[in-house]
Order: sequence, then structure tokens, then C-alpha cells
Amino acid sequence: MFKSRAKKDQSLTDEELVSLLQKEMDAERFAVLYDRYSSKVFQKCVGMTRDRDMAKDLTHDIFLKVFLNLSKFDHRSKFGTWVYSITYNYCLDTLRKGQRHREEDIDERTQEGIPMDDASEAHLLGMRAERLDHVLTEIDATDRAILLMKYEDELSVVDMQGALGIGESAVKMRLLRARDRAIAKYHHLYPEGS
Amino acid sequence: MSENPFKIIRSTDQPPESLRKEVVSSVKFLMLIMRFVQLFVADFSQVLFDKVRKTDNGSAPSSKPSNPTSPHEP
Repeated sequence: MFKSRAKKDQSLTDEELVSLLQKEMDAERFAVLYDRYSSKVFQKCVGMTRDRDMAKDLTHDIFLKVFLNLSKFDHRSKFGTWVYSITYNYCLDTLRKGQRHREEDIDERTQEGIPMDDASEAHLLGMRAERLDHVLTEIDATDRAILLMKYEDELSVVDMQGALGIGESAVKMRLLRARDRAIAKYHHLYPEGS
Repeated sequence: MSENPFKIIRSTDQPPESLRKEVVSSVKFLMLIMRFVQLFVADFSQVLFDKVRKTDNGSAPSSKPSNPTSPHEP
């Protein structure tokens, strides 16, 4: 009986499963959602933290957060999008707690306007993979996270606004600063490649 | 055009097998706590409701008509 229900649950869409869970909590049914999203959530956490143990703890906490907030999911976006926005926010919050915050630094340049700066983007995307990997390991975790959202997951500025709960100019400014710092780190690590 | 290096270095790690068990256990524990709280709060409000009713009956017994079905009684 349990097996047939588990089989049936696996054939349901995410949104159907969430609707059932919103009516009645069920750990085994929630496990179906875990099976669908755990790899991707874990990989995002590893990418942002560069630490498997920390990524494991974060993944655990993110799924508990998802479970506790299921009643707030309003079915307006895809369930996956909602899970990833919790993942980004939770990772960023955790990483921010572990380092000095640089918001003041960001604010200094907001008066000057926010150039899109294609040159720095081309520079970043033109790096050799192993060097980029080294650069990402060396830069601040919050810079790394925002660069991964933009260039690995290819989120648009609008998607990033939604996921991070900040305005368009703040997203662009954070991206610009993260790119600048990544490129500066690249020149520091590989002076011959400048 | 070369491939996006971010895609090349993307993590392909899989979460440890034990994590699934940990998450499901934590969810079950949370459900237990939530049910316990629900039960306690439900009982608490029921007890409070009963007390309010009793106090109300006891404090003003004569202010209401004894037979509300016959309001026009002389």
C-alpha cells in the first residue's frame, strides 16, 4: 500500500505534490521533492561555499526551510524557482555572517551611475576554466555567489531581483563590484596573464 | 566562441546518501512538534472558552431572561 502511494507520488508534478502537502503534512511525500531537488541545491551550495561539509549543512537547513514555508508557496512561480531563491538567499545570508560586509563599499559608487561594463564581462568569461576556478575560490563568498547566479545559472537581472529581494540598480551594482574584484584577483594571481 | 568557463567548472557533486535520512528525520521531528503545539493550543483555547462561559454564567445570572423563547411574558 505504501509502495503504491510512493509510486503515485513520484508521478505527480511538483505543484501537485505541494498542493497535497499544503493540505496535509507528510514527510515521505516531502522526500519525493527532496529527491528531485537535492542534487541541484547541494551543487549550488558547493559552488557558493566551496566546502562540501558546509554545503551539506546548508542543504539540510534549506530543505527544512522549504518544508516550514510550504504553506506560503502561492503557485505563482514554479516550485523549482522558489526553492532556488530560498537556496540563494540562505547561502548568501550564511556567507555574509561569516565575513565583513561590504555594503558601504558598494554605496560609494552608486552616485556615479551603473555602467553595464561589457569589457569586464568579456574578461571574466574569457578566463581559462581552471584559473576562473582559482579566482572564485579566492574572492569573497558573496561575490562568488552573485557571479555564479549570473554566469553559471544565467539568471536575468529581473530573476536576481526576485531571488534576492533587492532593486535593479542594487543587483547591477553588486554584479559590477563582484566582477571588478574577481578581475583584480585574477591580475593578482596571474600577473603574466594581464 | 569559447564555452562559458562557469559552465565548465560547475559542481557535479552529489549530496551524501545519509543526508536524505537526516532531512526526513528532521521533517518528522518538526511535524511532531507542530502537532504537539497545535494540540496544546487547541486544548488551551477550549479550556479558556469554558472558563469564560462559566464566569459569565456565574457573574450575571439574573440579567438575562430565564426563558429566552418567550420574550413577551408579562
